[in-house]
Amino acid sequence: MNTQYTRQDTKMLFAQLRETEDPEIREQLARLHLPLVEYLAKRFKDRGEPLDDLVQVGSVGLLKAIDRFDLDRGVEFSTYATPTIVGELKRYFRDKGWAVRVPRRLQELSLRLNKVVAQLTQELGRSPTVPEIANQVGVSEEEVLEALESGQAYSTTSLDAPAGNDEEETPQRLERMGENDVALDNLEYFASLAPLIEELPEREREILYLRFFRGMTQSKIADHVGISQMHVSRLLTRILEFLREGMDEEGSA
Amino acid sequence: MSPRTVKVRIPPDNGYVPLFRTTVAGIAAREAFTLEEVDDLRMGVEEAAVLLLRRGGDDPITLEVSVTEHHLEANLSTPTDSGPEPVDETSFSWMILSALAHKVETHLEDGKARIILTKTRSTGALQ
Repeated sequence: MNTQYTRQDTKMLFAQLRETEDPEIREQLARLHLPLVEYLAKRFKDRGEPLDDLVQVGSVGLLKAIDRFDLDRGVEFSTYATPTIVGELKRYFRDKGWAVRVPRRLQELSLRLNKVVAQLTQELGRSPTVPEIANQVGVSEEEVLEALESGQAYSTTSLDAPAGNDEEETPQRLERMGENDVALDNLEYFASLAPLIEELPEREREILYLRFFRGMTQSKIADHVGISQMHVSRLLTRILEFLREGMDEEGSA
Repeated sequence: MSPRTVKVRIPPDNGYVPLFRTTVAGIAAREAFTLEEVDDLRMGVEEAAVLLLRRGGDDPITLEVSVTEHHLEANLSTPTDSGPEPVDETSFSWMILSALAHKVETHLEDGKARIILTKTRSTGALQ
């Protein structure tokens, strides 16, 4: 893509966006700058998180930057957006931090497992078993279990963030708005849940629908949504927890 | 192979539900179910436990996990005198459970409310 062309485009799009606040244009701007997010996300790729997940995180920063950017400042948008995107990525790693103290050995193994699981899923065409993972990594099944459980432990703590968090909401709606909206109506069949489901970010609503209404496997959803299977798993757990809590509140009210 | 069985009993308190989750996940993983199946079981058992807890009884809740070469069965129960079926088949919970397990059974008999989830190995029989 020609840089000059992109810059011109960016300016024009921002001018239009400020005037019309058309979400389509916001989306176009985001798409245009996705390569920047990918470039920055790659800097963090050695920390054991799947690149796709990092791009998702970076996209949140990109959208924040789009919403805050002021054309009159006379700075290039990419210059303006870079610290915001990097900030988002750094925050992600900080928040993820192993809140539960997990021995370093397990942390490392757990991060390695992320990769091996993805690789085996690809090879086998299904999610791997613990013996298969152990075999591949060359450690005992007990060690794999330990590491998976410690991974679970940290993801449970990071689930405390409110599910309605709008910071997480934005980037994913970009790509797939429309297509699934109709299907999501099915979720509203459960009238008592509808208001709670409303509160979920778009992507989580979609994951909920795909898993429980369409019966799609986590790996399939991961492919479809463009995040890792482990991430889908974490989100599903969090969504169910959120709905359950919401229903309990309703019940006691 | 005769089924291998593990039984865990918790007080009727939400705080103990993670113990069920860990138990079923630990067993399923050791028994070579795939990570996704392990995850499904973890979520399914939690959902079932919460449904039994919502009945509001004072009695403990029991989880019995048994594994054969083809299946893992998680059988959750709690004593109850009366009340509705453990899961209403038109509910969202039912939908969740059916997506997570291959078979969901629910009984209200012999003074117990019971939910049984059965997961079939996708990788075929264990060697």
